[in-house]
Amino acid sequence: MPSAIYQYDAIDSAMLADRVAEFRGQVARRLAGELTEDQFKPLRLMNGLYLQLHAYMLRVAIPYGTLRSPQLRRLADVARRYDRGYGHFTTRQNIQFHWIKLKDAPDILEALAADDLHAIQTSGNCIRNVTADPYAGATADEVDDPRVWSEAIRQWSTFHPEFSYLPRKFKIAVTAAPKDRTAARAHDIGLQLRRNREGELGFEVMVGGGQGRQPFLAPTIREHLPVRHLLSYLQAVLRTYNRHGRRDNIHKARIKVLVAQLGAEEFARQVEAEWAATDKAAVDLPDTELARIRGAFRIHPFEPRRGPSPAFETAKAADPAFARFVRNNVLAHKVPGYAIVNVSLKAPGETPGDCSADQMDAVADLADAHSFGEVRVTYQQNLVLPHVPLDDVPAVFAGLQAIGLATANIDLASDIIACPGLDYCSLANARAINIAQDIAGRFALPERAEAVGELKIKISGCINACGHHHLGHIGILGVDKKGEEFYQLSLGGSGEEDASLARILGPALSGPGVVDAVERLVDAYMGRRLDGERFLDTYRRLGAEPFKEAVYADAHPA
Amino acid sequence: MTAQVLTANGLLDGEVVFFAGGRWVQHISEADVFIGDAGAPALAAAEAQPTVVVAPYLIDVAPSEGVPVPVAYRERVRALGPTIHPDMGKQAENRREAAVIEHAQGAARSTGRVALIKRK
Repeated sequence: MPSAIYQYDAIDSAMLADRVAEFRGQVARRLAGELTEDQFKPLRLMNGLYLQLHAYMLRVAIPYGTLRSPQLRRLADVARRYDRGYGHFTTRQNIQFHWIKLKDAPDILEALAADDLHAIQTSGNCIRNVTADPYAGATADEVDDPRVWSEAIRQWSTFHPEFSYLPRKFKIAVTAAPKDRTAARAHDIGLQLRRNREGELGFEVMVGGGQGRQPFLAPTIREHLPVRHLLSYLQAVLRTYNRHGRRDNIHKARIKVLVAQLGAEEFARQVEAEWAATDKAAVDLPDTELARIRGAFRIHPFEPRRGPSPAFETAKAADPAFARFVRNNVLAHKVPGYAIVNVSLKAPGETPGDCSADQMDAVADLADAHSFGEVRVTYQQNLVLPHVPLDDVPAVFAGLQAIGLATANIDLASDIIACPGLDYCSLANARAINIAQDIAGRFALPERAEAVGELKIKISGCINACGHHHLGHIGILGVDKKGEEFYQLSLGGSGEEDASLARILGPALSGPGVVDAVERLVDAYMGRRLDGERFLDTYRRLGAEPFKEAVYADAHPA
Repeated sequence: MTAQVLTANGLLDGEVVFFAGGRWVQHISEADVFIGDAGAPALAAAEAQPTVVVAPYLIDVAPSEGVPVPVAYRERVRALGPTIHPDMGKQAENRREAAVIEHAQGAARSTGRVALIKRK
């Protein structure tokens, strides 16, 4: 099947081959003792290779969350040949393999490169893999395809000599829809494409968001940047950051701290001054190159169909499980007669974001048969088949059921984001996955989860916040109290267009205690909600008090 | 007196290993137990093996049923494997050792953790 998304050209492929050869040499020198660990560590990190609790971990980039089916099969092959038969999709649309051996890493990178995959920009103090709307090219509410701009940023930022050693890592998100599915305001730079009153396409530029120890939502520093100036403006932001960012203190090195200290207005002034002095023509993407990239994201040969799909409607009427799947996992497509199908990686008892090699292969097959060979990865750690004809949705559902991926829980209480936590991560203070599994178990009955409605629970095993706990309707942070695991509850966060940071509810609880507490929070919400209110809405209307009372009235905090 | 075990990750495969009689073993139940500061020479010896192990450090343990059980929860996870995958890691290879570690009581802050994070 011809690809309708960007494929690497000869320059990209040669660059990847060179990179693999270089890393192979670096690994050989490390194993021979010619490089110390301190010398080698930054080199392996630049190739996405971390040392975790039990083994090395390889983080592979999935640029803007878009995969072609052969790429997903390649990931399955890596999982099967070099790992333990599975991979873990992360909150930045990447995938991690948790049981990698250093001696295999060069071979793995070579295998990945055969399908335009790599681990570049997945670690280190560079511009990281760009996050984009997983419904790009499929949703009716976008004003442009954000992947075109994400790919432009990828090409511009990869190995950019000026921005490869920033004060700290740097994350960019691009969305072109008013419904934010990228957590744009929680990024170092969030880019929101929209049209102004004159109908011209431009970016709202948000700078200085981030989570971790000091969470911030990015303020807008420019309401409308003409799209043709994207790269020169990004350069101005990064130069301002590179000039003033704190390199002396890792906890103050992110751009969010600089923006907070200077104030958004002063930071914007400095960026605009830098931009004014920039030779924009030397940096901005030439129209010909933009056209080349845009042309690579071809429009699929959709066959629009007005009116209902008998096969779809019949299956919905006949099978309550399919009807539930449609209610929760299937969304309208921009082309009549098609649907966006979300594939939950949050089946009861499973690890959020984990996907076996067999499941990856099966999803790739489903993508080939029903979605033009395309798969997307979401920051909520799920997958998407973005272009499924309505007639085919029953077959996709059956295919997903056969591999245990038909859980109908998107955005419900059991669709929990969780970082790997202390089960794998050397930075974690506490486990996160087991807490997610236990909470999901309380909402495993689909009727109950649907009755509760949209509820975003996000769990991090440490303050670095890979599990986005600051953005959870219910956020849970694992903390270490004298070597034991405890969990701090926060409420009221959102990573969407109504972005907000969650606020700590009270003292930390034990693992079982926090699972019980989530049930109490839900009970408190159910007893107080008004018609149509989500958990988040009720919390925003009533404040923390009734929820605090529900959790701590007779609990036993640490 | 504090009891300690010397641990690291193997350079080649990243596997958690423990120091025993001048070599590296896979299971903590086979590890040498050092009392007080007695582990310092072993740590120095380990640091002189940069092509064998990465980031060696001493951890506090409390002997239980013949197994030196790590005091810190984090080190117990390292000695066992992921708690969500009992079929993976060392717990899958030595169930008796795993059962002792899983059921041991008491915990304290991990030793050497700050240095470990810096190195990794």
